Amino acid sequence: MLKVSNITKYYDELKAVDNLTFEVKEGEIFGLLGVNGAGKTTTFRLIMGLIEPNEGIITLDDKKIDYNVTDKIGFLTEERSLLTKMSIKEQALFYGRLKGMNKKDILNKLDNLLKKFYKNEKDFNLEEFKKKKIKELSKGNQQKIQFIIAILNDPKLLILDEPFSGLDPFNIELFKEEINRLSKQGSIIIFSSHRMEHVELFCEKILVIAKGKALLEGYLDEIKENFQKKNIIVNGDIDIEEIKNIEGVISVNKQGMDYEIKIENKNINDKVFKKVKNYKNITKYILQSPSLNEIFIEKVGEYYEG
Amino acid sequence: MKDKFKFLIEYGLEKKIKSKWFVIVNILLLALMLSLCNIDRIITFFGGDFNKETKILVVDNIGCFDLLKSQFDLNKDNLSKYSMENYKKDLKSLKKEIKKDDNTVGIILNPNEDKIIDVKIISNGYLDLIDSEYLKSIIYSTKIVKAIEKYEIPIETINKIYENVEIDREILGKNKKKEEENMEMVMAYVFPSIILPLFMLILLLVQMIGSEINDEKATRGMEIIISNVSPKIHFFSKIIVSNLFIIIQIVLMLFYGVLGMLIRGKQAIEANSELYNYVNTFKENISIQLTDKLIYVIPLFIILLILTFIGYSLLSGILASITTNIEDFQQLQTPLMIILMTGYVLSVFAATFDGSLLIKLIAFLPFISAIVAPSLFIIGQFSLIDMIISIVLMLGVNYILIKYGLRIYKVGILNYSSSKLYKKMWKAVKEK
Repeated sequence: MLKVSNITKYYDELKAVDNLTFEVKEGEIFGLLGVNGAGKTTTFRLIMGLIEPNEGIITLDDKKIDYNVTDKIGFLTEERSLLTKMSIKEQALFYGRLKGMNKKDILNKLDNLLKKFYKNEKDFNLEEFKKKKIKELSKGNQQKIQFIIAILNDPKLLILDEPFSGLDPFNIELFKEEINRLSKQGSIIIFSSHRMEHVELFCEKILVIAKGKALLEGYLDEIKENFQKKNIIVNGDIDIEEIKNIEGVISVNKQGMDYEIKIENKNINDKVFKKVKNYKNITKYILQSPSLNEIFIEKVGEYYEG
Repeated sequence: MKDKFKFLIEYGLEKKIKSKWFVIVNILLLALMLSLCNIDRIITFFGGDFNKETKILVVDNIGCFDLLKSQFDLNKDNLSKYSMENYKKDLKSLKKEIKKDDNTVGIILNPNEDKIIDVKIISNGYLDLIDSEYLKSIIYSTKIVKAIEKYEIPIETINKIYENVEIDREILGKNKKKEEENMEMVMAYVFPSIILPLFMLILLLVQMIGSEINDEKATRGMEIIISNVSPKIHFFSKIIVSNLFIIIQIVLMLFYGVLGMLIRGKQAIEANSELYNYVNTFKENISIQLTDKLIYVIPLFIILLILTFIGYSLLSGILASITTNIEDFQQLQTPLMIILMTGYVLSVFAATFDGSLLIKLIAFLPFISAIVAPSLFIIGQFSLIDMIISIVLMLGVNYILIKYGLRIYKVGILNYSSSKLYKKMWKAVKEK
């Protein structure tokens, strides 16, 4: 289990991380969310031991994370951290050896992962591809290689800082498969993303931070369930102004063919339903929790400084 | 962690040695060294000839050819590329022959009542300045003998005139030996020639470490590396790899030089009289005067040189860690280059400014001492203790660089912002 306990990190006067505490168990996929400058990357750097916290402790399986543990960790940085003059094979060997792996295992693992990640590409020549220099690859391919290298060692803890940057939906699907595979085999996966739909796609548990402080933490289902505001999706001939006048209705917006009615809490649903059932041609009426994006904006909005 | 350290060293060295540029540069260096050792042969191949004899044809109108020839023979060592013969034909034919062959020189000796002899030297091109002076000297000697004959000076007087002057040399300076007097001039030229390649290698070392660290920083590969190995391991692996690489390059360059000399062969060296004379003079000086000094100076020089290489690599590693791109690093390394250049210039002029306190003091300075101190030691301006002090000072600086520089390095390599840089570094130095 990864345990982050009361960590605080200052950069001079700036408190980048403020008394942050969270836990991620084996097999869990944990989303660390926040706007730019919220302290996500600093938190990852603290977990990796790249910087020391001013206060608090971080442990993996009850052991402080140091160079005796880092071989079990995979790390994908937000910015490309590939040595661009190297070929894919050289890069994998270099980082793999730094993870304490032997050459044979690295090459076997690299071949398997490349086959998996490039299975949809026509005329893919594995041996030729491995000889390509990192700088010759497209942004998306570089991201794939960075991900492959981060998971070469089947990490116990996998840290992914903005892993979907530059990826198309097909590649996101490939990443998802691999992340789920690692999760099933017991890896602890922690990642950050600005894209809430990605977080919803993968994460069971999230932590929203702003200015280094935890704002919201828990399992995604519970967070959504506990979030007071709800959305009602309606399809039919409704009178928007009448609905808006119902007490507890926040807004009514047209979304494609449907209407989205935002309400303050689920108790307002009865009032809305009573009104809507009198309208003609009603073909859809769904009460649903808001998206993570809405929750995020609601929670982080007051801290956002653009 | 030890395995990773070993891996970083092996990997780093293998990467450098197996790179195509290392192979290309070494092929070029080999070709250059072989060419330099055989430069006369190459020039000869393309139409020049170092060993071709120049024929001196003497038109003797005063009957003193035998005298001139005897003076010429006395100076044969200095005029080994010349031969002399009495030319019996007329001036027109002589000029025709000289025109035909650049390696023919004419000397016309005519009588002169007041000045004893009139001399005209005819050649197609320019004469070598030194050779020309020797020719003038033998003509002058011939004139004197002719004058002695003319004024009937006794043979005893003539012998006294020609007897060598014995000069007894005494040097009053402390620690100065008359046997070392010639060495000053020899070493003033020899040492800078040895140091020039080392000077170039230090430049290469500084550049190599700086660009590697900057590359890893700029690509953020440093984040992955440092998350797997400590900054200390990373730093020392860079220092060791770069220094090993430089040592390998020095050994290879020495090997190329030896190979060049072997290909050239002893006889060929002897054939090139100037080189042969130079080597011989050097050998004599070494065998007579320097052997005892070299026993100390070579090991001390090697120790000081290795410490200086390490010092430069530590400093360039630290500087590279606090910069965020290669342009900034190049600007920061400029003072280093100026220091190095100052050292080189001082080593060249060390013998010229004999006894300069400033040069002696500068020779103690770390980073410069490896270049200046051995020159001063050889020419007797630096004692063995002075040399050891230079080594201790360099060792001390390296210790400080490791102790405090490593703290800067740890912070610097993961810092990507240049704002408040010096404050951050100062804070790092103060933190334990």
